[in-house]
Amino acid sequence: MEILKYACPQSKDEAFRLIREEHGTAIGGAAWLRTNTKTIALGVDLAGLGLEYVREVGDHIEIGAMTTYRELETNPLLRARFGALFETTVSHVVGVQLRNIITVGGTAAGRYGFSDLNTTLCALGAQVVFYPDQTMDLAQFIERGAKVPFLLEKVLLPATAKGTYHQMRISENDFPIINTTAVWTGSEWRIAVGSRPAATRLCPKAMALLGADLHPSDDILASAARAAADELQFGSDIRASAEYRREILPVLVRRALMEVRE
Amino acid sequence: MNITLRINGKQESIECLPGEMLTEVLRRAGHFEVKKGCDTGNCGACTVLVDGKPVLSCSYLAVRAEGKEITTIQGLADEAKKFAAFLTAEGADQCGFCAPGFALTVLAMKEEFSSIPDEAQIRHYLAGNLCRCSGYEGQIRAIKKYLEAQHAE
Amino acid sequence: MQNNDYPIPLPNDAKLEATKQFNVVAHDLPKVDGEGLVLGRPAYTDDLVPPNALYVKLVRSPHAFARILSIDPTDALALPGVACVLTWKDIPRIPITRAGQGNPEPSPHDRFILDEYVRYVGDEVAVVAAETEALAEKAAGLVKVEYQKLKPVLDFEHALDNPIVIHPEPGIHEMFPIGFEPKRNIAAAYHMEIGDVEQELAASPVKVETTVHTQAQQHVALEPHTAFSYIDLQGRLVIVTSTQNPWHTRRLLGLAFQMPLRQIRIVKPRIGGGFGGKQHIHVEPYVAMVTMKTGRPASLALTRREVFEATFTRHEMRVKVRLGANPDGKLRAIDMQVLSNTGAYGEHALTTFMVAGSKTLPLYNKVSAVRFGGHVVYTNKVSAGAFRGYGAIQGLTGLEAAMDELAHKLSIDPVELRRKNMLHEGETSEVFRIMGEGTEGVAMNIESCKLEECIARGKELIGWDFTQLVHEVAPGVLRAKGMAIAMQGSGIPLIDMGSARIELQDGGFFKLHVGATDLGTGSDTILAQIAAEELGVDMEDIVVHSSDTDHTPFDVGAYASSTTYVSGSAVLKAARSLKTKLIEAVAEKFGVAPKDIVYTQKTFMTADGTKSLSLNDFSYDTLYHDGEKMKTIEATESFSGSKSPPPYLAAFVEIEIDTETGKVNVVHYVAVVDVGTPINPNLAKVQIEGGLLQGIGLALYEDVRYSEAGHMLSHNMMTYPIPSREDVGRITVELVDSYEPSGPFGAKSAGEIGIDTPPAAIANAIRNATGVRLTEYPFTPERVLAALKAAKTQHT
Ligand SMILES: Cc1cc2nc3c(=O)[nH]c(=O)nc-3n(C[C@H](O)[C@H](O)[C@H](O)COP(=O)(O)OP(=O)(O)OC[C@H]3O[C@@H](n4cnc5c(N)ncnc54)[C@H](O)[C@@H]3O)c2cc1C
Ligand code: FES
Ligand code: FES
Repeated sequence: MEILKYACPQSKDEAFRLIREEHGTAIGGAAWLRTNTKTIALGVDLAGLGLEYVREVGDHIEIGAMTTYRELETNPLLRARFGALFETTVSHVVGVQLRNIITVGGTAAGRYGFSDLNTTLCALGAQVVFYPDQTMDLAQFIERGAKVPFLLEKVLLPATAKGTYHQMRISENDFPIINTTAVWTGSEWRIAVGSRPAATRLCPKAMALLGADLHPSDDILASAARAAADELQFGSDIRASAEYRREILPVLVRRALMEVRE
Repeated sequence: MNITLRINGKQESIECLPGEMLTEVLRRAGHFEVKKGCDTGNCGACTVLVDGKPVLSCSYLAVRAEGKEITTIQGLADEAKKFAAFLTAEGADQCGFCAPGFALTVLAMKEEFSSIPDEAQIRHYLAGNLCRCSGYEGQIRAIKKYLEAQHAE
Repeated sequence: MQNNDYPIPLPNDAKLEATKQFNVVAHDLPKVDGEGLVLGRPAYTDDLVPPNALYVKLVRSPHAFARILSIDPTDALALPGVACVLTWKDIPRIPITRAGQGNPEPSPHDRFILDEYVRYVGDEVAVVAAETEALAEKAAGLVKVEYQKLKPVLDFEHALDNPIVIHPEPGIHEMFPIGFEPKRNIAAAYHMEIGDVEQELAASPVKVETTVHTQAQQHVALEPHTAFSYIDLQGRLVIVTSTQNPWHTRRLLGLAFQMPLRQIRIVKPRIGGGFGGKQHIHVEPYVAMVTMKTGRPASLALTRREVFEATFTRHEMRVKVRLGANPDGKLRAIDMQVLSNTGAYGEHALTTFMVAGSKTLPLYNKVSAVRFGGHVVYTNKVSAGAFRGYGAIQGLTGLEAAMDELAHKLSIDPVELRRKNMLHEGETSEVFRIMGEGTEGVAMNIESCKLEECIARGKELIGWDFTQLVHEVAPGVLRAKGMAIAMQGSGIPLIDMGSARIELQDGGFFKLHVGATDLGTGSDTILAQIAAEELGVDMEDIVVHSSDTDHTPFDVGAYASSTTYVSGSAVLKAARSLKTKLIEAVAEKFGVAPKDIVYTQKTFMTADGTKSLSLNDFSYDTLYHDGEKMKTIEATESFSGSKSPPPYLAAFVEIEIDTETGKVNVVHYVAVVDVGTPINPNLAKVQIEGGLLQGIGLALYEDVRYSEAGHMLSHNMMTYPIPSREDVGRITVELVDSYEPSGPFGAKSAGEIGIDTPPAAIANAIRNATGVRLTEYPFTPERVLAALKAAKTQHT
């Protein structure tokens, strides 16, 4: 990767200006950028903005865009509120050394098809905050993208929820073939599916089938799991075919739901 | 551009390009203990510590390391020798290309865990250090014995 | 330590006893270079590049098959700092092979260092050198190449007699008859039959037929292929390179560049893994071209992507096995037919293919008829080459699948089926005599084979109970066991040769020089152990230097599981003859007969105990004090095996299979191995463990994938993941007591055999779990689930 001009702004205003007005490329962890980008005219390093935090503000939790995967994995607040959900979600992503680099912001901004984390974030109903003042559901952002260059400042999560993450991989540190997170928010079920191999989507029909009952019957779980596969689209890539993804998704969704129901 | 890095406790002034990753810069400065295995961020051969945390130097922007403490295996040579004794006693050092990065991650793990990690924790913490030669079993035997010996000390 | 200058024949049981009396050999000594490598001291080729070296980049073909119409380097050369751009027009047009093998090579000479044609995506087109790596890369992008695209042949099943001929060019040739028919896209072919297979099969009451398809596999040694070159003070070309075979490299470069071999020196520093992947010339010719053109040092380290796209893979093979047997399980006939894919060039084409038979068929030596044959075909994919297992893994995968099918058909324990038919100590197989590596083989009696012991111990370790091979651990999740046995070889008899030189130094230590190539396997260490054992000194007293064509004696290199057996025997011979010389020299000094000298504890004594002299004192005497008697005491010896005693392995695996998703996990892999005397048990064990994991990778995860146009899709470690330490539950390796009389201190080999069994044993376990025989590798979750479903619909 070549960066022709490098800036490390110390204020969000300046970073935002460079991105919006000078078409600067935001640099999060840079791990993905560096393997997939040849030349960056203006690199805007976000390391100087103080965006590394996980904190509770009012009735939600805020995660700064530059927070690393490793932080998500080990953060006491996230563990207290979501159990092992974040740990299981990111634990397959290569190794501790990469997870000490890659960021929540780079992941949400990238809207990657293969993402483990975005699936869990969407299932939790995460919102993304774009500097200076725009807030949007992550699921919606992933679907629609952004029309203008943006600075993703932070991700907002509900204060607590119960969820589990299930995925299939050929080998443990490969990219996922398909993944899903099921969440009980306290009043409703949410299911997200990623790596289809296209990006994460919610499963509104399956969610509706489950209703507002934390203890749906096995039959309802199974039909919700099948509904998830029916309402989504799947594609083929070098790891698996669309058919295979469609076929095993209900198994993963069912297992995830059952685990949450426990 | 010119950056100042603190490598293994020594201040070094180094010429680098803004897009360059730490691996290139460190090797150019003669730190051959930092290996280049994969170009993509998969293998862990390039592991260094930045402010005590293990990171892939091949995926870490060099400019970002300015003002931070960079530690390669050479910076922990005394501790590394102790671990090397266990690794070689198991015959688990084969071609050795993965070894400096792998050993560094082992030392980082030891610092991070307050008690001795179990085998599953060891395997998980070190999952990012690939080794094509050893099949990992001997490495695990060595790590367990090393951690126990360190704990006993 | 006894003064036994020459091996004293021991009664059969005493041989095993002998292994218990070693002082250095059969001990778990640490590798001589271990600590230095862990500390990351500069040791590999890329750590040693001279500061003023030019960087080399290669322009590679974007097409699977094309003719180069023109190459225009103008823009590249216009960049300040670009030293040269070289193309096929800059070198003599000499067909060679890139395979590091004996002379003459059994591989066809069907390749030019650079050619007018490119035959796979990644094939070398031009060589660019510049002052910095970034510049070289930029310049390589500016070289304008005009191609005439040709339609490629990508499917090896359709290569034979395809109207598209991959090698129509004149001048290419075989070195001796190997069945080379380029007009038919055949790189090599072979056929042999002992007895009448068709007749025996027809007469057999029970028959099975199994076909497996094993995929190409990437070596993924962690160090990418790297070389640098320079001109020395005497105007000679020196190449420092990550090679497994310095002498073959020198010989092939001499041929390619029409240079006298005396003008070339090859040095191998530490290598970051090889597995056969560095048994070829991939980088050396290109740095050499730049150095010869510019007079400057030049270096080339392949990117990981180049390693994937443009160095070699394992040969993809389709292996069809037919077995005929009696109802009691006695095998009567084996027929193995193989189609092998060598890719664009024929490196190791014939030999990997023959090994599929020659190192598997002797396992079941009691048959009345056995046949082996098939073709090795060209395709427009990256070449296949040497890779640990070298055909044996492919052949064994077919053979051991068929054996298990036979056991199922007969409803007998697969272990008992194998025991009934397998090779035992004191026996032989006709296959040894008939099939060699490219030529006839060498008849051989098996003097050490502890397969029975390996099997018995393996059963114990896995808890093998034929009536209980599968059980359900959760709804839809099964645990099941499977097994397979394997053999390999120890060097290529009468072809592989290794040598060693040992010299006494002042201070009473020894310099050991070997041509053998340590790939990280620890051969420098075990060769020093052999020398120390025989010379009655400590490991510290041996200083080893290896793999330098100027400074160490000849060795063919590290491949074919040869180093311990072949190079190790050379070291043992050299140590023996040096010991004799030492004793003779001391005897002369003392004025007694050599037989009256006792050498023990690094001290020479007369038998009557009146005179004694330490090795240390003697070393000064012979080099500084003894006037006209002063001399360097050294011995150089060579060894070429008249046989290739196989190591054996019994493997037992427990897998978990999720029948709802098709995911298969290895819970426990047990391998019990007969490597003869392990010179260094820990190093031998780790060799096996590493081989097993690589074999498990082939069985379950690794696959070389191409687009329809022939572009490699799995061209980095993101798309070609190798097993991590979280993929496999547990691996248990044990070595059984064994002693090979023809090997150094009873040793055979351990380098390759570890990789052979996993594809077969895992397939057999899945078969035991589900009743389904999987034949298409690797067993990805999708393939497994599809096979399970197909079987279900067949049943209903
Ligand atoms: C070897 C390897 C294996 C991987 N395996 C997996 C895997 O198995 N599963 C998985 O989910 N992921 C995997 N990843 C992807 C990893 O999660 C990504 O690297 C990560 O999601 C991107 O984060 P980053 O911080 O590196 O982003 P960067 O590379 O810095 O940026 C990515 C993109 O986002 C933009 N960007 C970054 N931050 C912001 C911001 N705050 N505002 C606006 N735009 C921004 C950048 O401009 C760029 O376009 C893997 C990556 C690598 C290198
Ligand atoms: S070189 Fe950094 S992970 Fe492989
Ligand atoms: S020892 Fe060779 S890669 Fe680990």
